[in-house]
Amino acid sequence: MQEKVKEWLEQGRVDIFLGYKMVEGHPLPHSFTKDNIDEVKDLVTSSARYSLEKIATKIAAQKPDIKIGLIARDCNERALNVLHIWKQLNSDNIETINVNCCPSRIKEHADCSYLEPEKPGAYKKTVGIENNADVEDIEKFSQEELFKRWMYELQKCIKCYGCRDICPVCFCKECTMDSPELVATGGDLPPEVPIFHLVRAVHMGGRCIDCGLCEDACPVDIPLRMLYRKVNGIVADVFDYKTGVSADQSPFNILGEKVTLQPKPI
Amino acid sequence: MDYKNIPSVCSYCGCGCGVLFQVMDGRLTGTLPLKTHPVNEGRLCIKGWNLHEHATSDRRLTSSMIKKDGQLQGASLDEAVKTTAERLKGIIDQYGPDSVGVLASAKVTNEENYLIQKITRAVIGTNNVDHCARL
Repeated sequence: MQEKVKEWLEQGRVDIFLGYKMVEGHPLPHSFTKDNIDEVKDLVTSSARYSLEKIATKIAAQKPDIKIGLIARDCNERALNVLHIWKQLNSDNIETINVNCCPSRIKEHADCSYLEPEKPGAYKKTVGIENNADVEDIEKFSQEELFKRWMYELQKCIKCYGCRDICPVCFCKECTMDSPELVATGGDLPPEVPIFHLVRAVHMGGRCIDCGLCEDACPVDIPLRMLYRKVNGIVADVFDYKTGVSADQSPFNILGEKVTLQPKPI
Repeated sequence: MDYKNIPSVCSYCGCGCGVLFQVMDGRLTGTLPLKTHPVNEGRLCIKGWNLHEHATSDRRLTSSMIKKDGQLQGASLDEAVKTTAERLKGIIDQYGPDSVGVLASAKVTNEENYLIQKITRAVIGTNNVDHCARL
């Protein structure tokens, strides 16, 4: 991998390569360039996941023509796909080196260990929703029970906006979550439950690539990933659109001449 | 294009959460939680997430200020220290040292906070010293 990155930088195939470097025991995202090419020997993959594609989006917003290379796991690839579709990154300017993925039910042998949340405690099992559960598991509860459990989870929110800030596919310049007309701003805690989270959940339709970084960053362990998984399950059912996998424009795009919001034939 | 991540510690409260500052072309542009930090394990509160805004805010003071004619005006450090010392001395002489109270800050270092309590107790002569984290 290091040889390949060195070659890419020397040949100018990429101007900047985003990978990881160990700094005082912490794997940190690091940018490798031709000017510091000796550092490439320190390039490592990391067990901690940072959204390298979000960093790439940030860099591309400043320098649209810069060629960016990055280490990509499956989740990064899906996020890149969404960012290409929404024209936040130009696919011609992005090169990836694929690395092993996070351990999960789909992939047991993997490097990244931050995906599966901790086992829930007894109280959470009784009144809340297990972060590890599947959508089908929790839909076995009655509607009232499910509502009560979701409300328990959502009222824990401390409104840190970490789920939005860490999200690789959150790139809007103006965010609805900051809009006082739709979501009350200011220091009210918990925020308007469940509107605050549902507004975000709706916006994740056709965008969320199920990377789990939001849940990772949540200080109060709200099962956000499951919430967005449910939303995108509906998107897949109604529009036949698989977020992160489909190469077409999202059904929720309202820009351009073509109307893309087409339910699939029943 | 120069992009760097600088590991640091959040300066807001005493928890000591690990943060990563995103620096693009020499300008601080963002804050990320440090995923492998033992204290916060990749999570932050809203203040931590917005540390860079605090550092780059154009409302930050860049010089000492003295209130003249009812308005805060820029002043040299020497002038500010002199004015403060004279006013403090005047107040202490007239009303006694316990008429003065000092509030320290979480945004300065431990050592600076030590000096603040030292100057309050040893120079001004009062125990009226407290810290914003207790307010």
